Amino acid sequence: MSYDRPHRGGGNRRRYRDDYDDRRREPYESPADKLKTSIIKFGDLDVEQELPTIEKHIRDSAPYNIPNLSEAFRIAVTEQPYKIPHYVTLLRRLHDIPPEETSSEGPSLGKQILEDFWKGFQAYLDKLAWRETRLCIHFFAHLTVAKLIAADSLFGLLQSFTAVLEEFGVSHGRAKKAAVCAGEGLMIGGPVLKPASAEHVQEIVNAIQAYNDTLTNPKTLVAPMVNLYSEETPPNELLDILLRALKTLDESDFTETASSFLQPYTSIEDPDPATFVPYNLPSVLVPPEVIELDGLATDSGEEAQVKKEEWPEYFIPLFDNDVTPDPQTPAGYAVYAGLTDIIDIYEVNRKECARLLLEFPKWTVPGTFKPKPGATNAPEPVPEKDWQLESTVIENLLGAYLVLPEASQKSIYYIGLITELCKLSPSTVGPAVGKSIRKLYSMLGEGLDVEVARRFAEWFAIHMSNFGFQWVWKEWIPELSLAVQHPKRAFMRRAIEFEIRLSYHDRILKTLPQEMQAPEGHTIGEQAPGPDFEYDDPAKPHHDAAQAVLNLFRGRAKAEDVIAHLETLKGTLDTSDDGEIVNVDGLIRSIAMQSLLHIGSRSFSHLLNAIERYLPLLRHIASGGVSSASGSGTPEAKADILTASAAFWKLNRHMVAIVFDKLMQYQIVDPTDVVAWTFVHRGEIRQFSEATGPLSLSAFEWDLLKGALDKANGRVMIARRKVVALRKEDDDNRARVKAKAEGNTVMEVDGEENVPEKTDEALAADSPALTTALKAFTSLTREQKAALSRTLDGFVSCLAPGASDANPNPHSRVVISEDGWSDRAGWEKDQWDAWETWGWYRQFCRSYAPYLRNYSTTLWTVSFAKFDGSTDPAAELLKKTWQVATGQE
Amino acid sequence: MAHVVSPLDQPSNYKDSQTRVDRQRQNDLLSKSTTLYVGNLSFYTTEEQIYELFTKCASPEDGGGIKRIIMGLDRNTRTPCGFCFVEYYTHTEALASMRYVSGTKLDERIIRCDLDLGYKEGRQFGRGKSGGQVRDEHRQDYDPGRGGWGAQAQRLEIERRREVEERYADAQDGPGAVAGGGGDWKESESSGNLKRGRSPEDEGDGRLGQRSRLDEDMDAERM
Repeated sequence: MSYDRPHRGGGNRRRYRDDYDDRRREPYESPADKLKTSIIKFGDLDVEQELPTIEKHIRDSAPYNIPNLSEAFRIAVTEQPYKIPHYVTLLRRLHDIPPEETSSEGPSLGKQILEDFWKGFQAYLDKLAWRETRLCIHFFAHLTVAKLIAADSLFGLLQSFTAVLEEFGVSHGRAKKAAVCAGEGLMIGGPVLKPASAEHVQEIVNAIQAYNDTLTNPKTLVAPMVNLYSEETPPNELLDILLRALKTLDESDFTETASSFLQPYTSIEDPDPATFVPYNLPSVLVPPEVIELDGLATDSGEEAQVKKEEWPEYFIPLFDNDVTPDPQTPAGYAVYAGLTDIIDIYEVNRKECARLLLEFPKWTVPGTFKPKPGATNAPEPVPEKDWQLESTVIENLLGAYLVLPEASQKSIYYIGLITELCKLSPSTVGPAVGKSIRKLYSMLGEGLDVEVARRFAEWFAIHMSNFGFQWVWKEWIPELSLAVQHPKRAFMRRAIEFEIRLSYHDRILKTLPQEMQAPEGHTIGEQAPGPDFEYDDPAKPHHDAAQAVLNLFRGRAKAEDVIAHLETLKGTLDTSDDGEIVNVDGLIRSIAMQSLLHIGSRSFSHLLNAIERYLPLLRHIASGGVSSASGSGTPEAKADILTASAAFWKLNRHMVAIVFDKLMQYQIVDPTDVVAWTFVHRGEIRQFSEATGPLSLSAFEWDLLKGALDKANGRVMIARRKVVALRKEDDDNRARVKAKAEGNTVMEVDGEENVPEKTDEALAADSPALTTALKAFTSLTREQKAALSRTLDGFVSCLAPGASDANPNPHSRVVISEDGWSDRAGWEKDQWDAWETWGWYRQFCRSYAPYLRNYSTTLWTVSFAKFDGSTDPAAELLKKTWQVATGQE
Repeated sequence: MAHVVSPLDQPSNYKDSQTRVDRQRQNDLLSKSTTLYVGNLSFYTTEEQIYELFTKCASPEDGGGIKRIIMGLDRNTRTPCGFCFVEYYTHTEALASMRYVSGTKLDERIIRCDLDLGYKEGRQFGRGKSGGQVRDEHRQDYDPGRGGWGAQAQRLEIERRREVEERYADAQDGPGAVAGGGGDWKESESSGNLKRGRSPEDEGDGRLGQRSRLDEDMDAERM
């Protein structure tokens, strides 16, 4: 849209005129295209003024191209839902037959468009394009209120969607979307539906309610405010909100619909019931979900298909109801749904999205939002409305961003969108952002979910990096007296660490008050997060040995020469009989790894160069130095590699994650090695402050786990695609050969007559490429299962430690009890660590549920069988969480 | 969704006047590209900062991630000169960067991303007369992140920041000078075979046959 403004682009562009683009040049626009564009743009400036113009424009286009007109309406409705009521007005006017045409037979222009529009709706439904389907239902519901559609037929349509809720084994994703389709249709259409049949209205509400009642367990797992000891579900889940708003509307016989949704068409007289026959929506069936079966199973026979589960969706209220609407009220729901759709639809262009969000009030009932300061002819404020636009937008955006287990878009989209909003209107959006930050901060330590807290820190850092790192840190100085692992302090540390990653240590240090800069504040490192080469100091043991290795690397010695040198070195260390060296292999690995990382420490590219140049060396080390070992290395050697890397980068956790990622990418270590290391060996690096003390996981360790699990899952994904593509290729080849054998003369003109015919057997066998790909797929699913299993096992030993488990956290059972939680004011580091570890366990179960499901039987046996008959509350909670996530409860 | 607004992930309207790759082929390459050209960087921005921001668009669970970053260097001084290439494993990730990161700040400068035809040996060096980017030679303003006043004054500024600048003193020319970043997973060979050669995927080089684009022209034109 903004791309092609003619007077944009400065002088020096002209030099390149010749290069300019055939791609960008507007194709010839036919009159039909022009008409379509004007329909889509209808209302952009002034709806009331444009209405007669656009109506005339359409009527003047006779003879009518109905498909073109209905397509314009479909695009308008599904891409600009905020304008739907105005398109209803337009379509209402097109239903009137102008005096000069009264003689002609046949349906009105408006009715012809509506009939054709229906075909488009049917196509959306067939594809299960839920958003488009739902927005068309909005359109139909408004049209019903405008008396252009028969109320009974709208009931029929909505009932097709509530029928989905009763399907056997319906997935939550499908049921949720169907429920919202029916519920929103009823909210808008209620004013005519209820008089037609109060009973039908009740049926729709009851169907949604009945479905919602089955969701208690999943809700407890994705609520943003965690409550580990009770099964009560907090308010503000999407379907709860929808039902509350619907019931309120129903109680007042839908009189509130008019104050919640625009109905500009009501100013036009209803069509004459004596002569007008309203459109009957044909009956539909919501098609079943298509499950693409590629028939790929793991080597132990589990189905390896990944189907992203959908969870209940919570909204996090950040403002009082006099500042932003309560989404449980009809008007609040309308605002919430309207903004959510804009955020969702305009993901392709965050700048336009920001503009549309700030223009949202013009599409709402007058008085919904406070007028802009200095606005002339502002409407009278409506009591109990008069909300603040910017706070409402930010609250909705953050709500969408913080949905668990993951938002529908990438985090950076929501973050970038907030940045654009701030750039468009700094003086009004800025304060709303500041208040939201303070509100979220206040929820830390009161149960705010660990993943929500992690995303909060991520947003905070990126947001600040776009606005000069200006945050009033000094207002959080009092919290420095809290326990070091209290969520508020963990948040400050993490936000600052993320800021440093995007900037640099000294820059961020400058933004902090003295109290936070001080080492005893434990908020920011004393020095820039550089490498720490253990053998750098000549006074340290093995300095000389390490220097020799380092010099080989610096001189670009060949990998085999370094290996030979290490063997010799091993000999000398073995024979130096000071009795100090316990583990010579481990020491050699540490020296070699740290020296290699040292030459790769200047930059990410240097790291890659160092690894690539010495891949044979790395493989040698990973194999434990035994050349006959299998290709994938030995677990101790790989754990030593990870320990040495983490020790080298102990001051820079970002680099630890990067090094681990590339060691996995180059297949020096496997994801399972990283998982195992994170649970077992990470505690050996004292500098990871959260790591000291009993076994537990903080957000940093979670990032390492996530990196490993995503790698394992991503590889399976690639392997699956490869198999599917090669299989198709094989099938195509077979079909071609078969067609030829059947004497297809067309094929023979290709000059392939001389190709020897393959025998049937050769045809039946897979191609070598496919065989290799299938083998890779089998190996990778095995690795995936191992990584998931190792993670589950790690959590179990952290959270329900047995008597024999090393370094157990004595508080893992206390923090999940009601008494324990209510004593949290006195919690120390260990208690908060235990609580956070429970949080990451929940995130593991819910976000990897689609993968865990495939292996749920085996994993259950491996990790939970030992708890049979146990009444350990930790074991109970572990099992319960697992069962809810994998859909067994 | 393109009916109401233009998506942000379209390739720019830049056309390389020197390329011998025809337009159709360029479009094909861009429609699959996993590489971004990133411009308007501060000379002091590090690869790790770039990594941190661009990771936000990565989809590791889908087999993606950051494959490598190639810092643009001054041909003569081997110091960063304000641009880089970020290469992902998947096209979707490159598109996500166009949508969500291009036009936001990194190291307090608004950076600009563009889909790229793919890194080609030698492209890590600036092509201005002074060795840096052409745009910095024409620049009239004072830009502390890019060496102060235009090309002349840069020398002094660079002296002052020698510590940072020495990072790339060892940057090499020629084939294999730039690491590949690691390719797709392969069934591991027996560890006895130490001399595994680098596979084409390790190389990660989009062998286009010729230089495909003048980066600094684009900068000069669009900034």
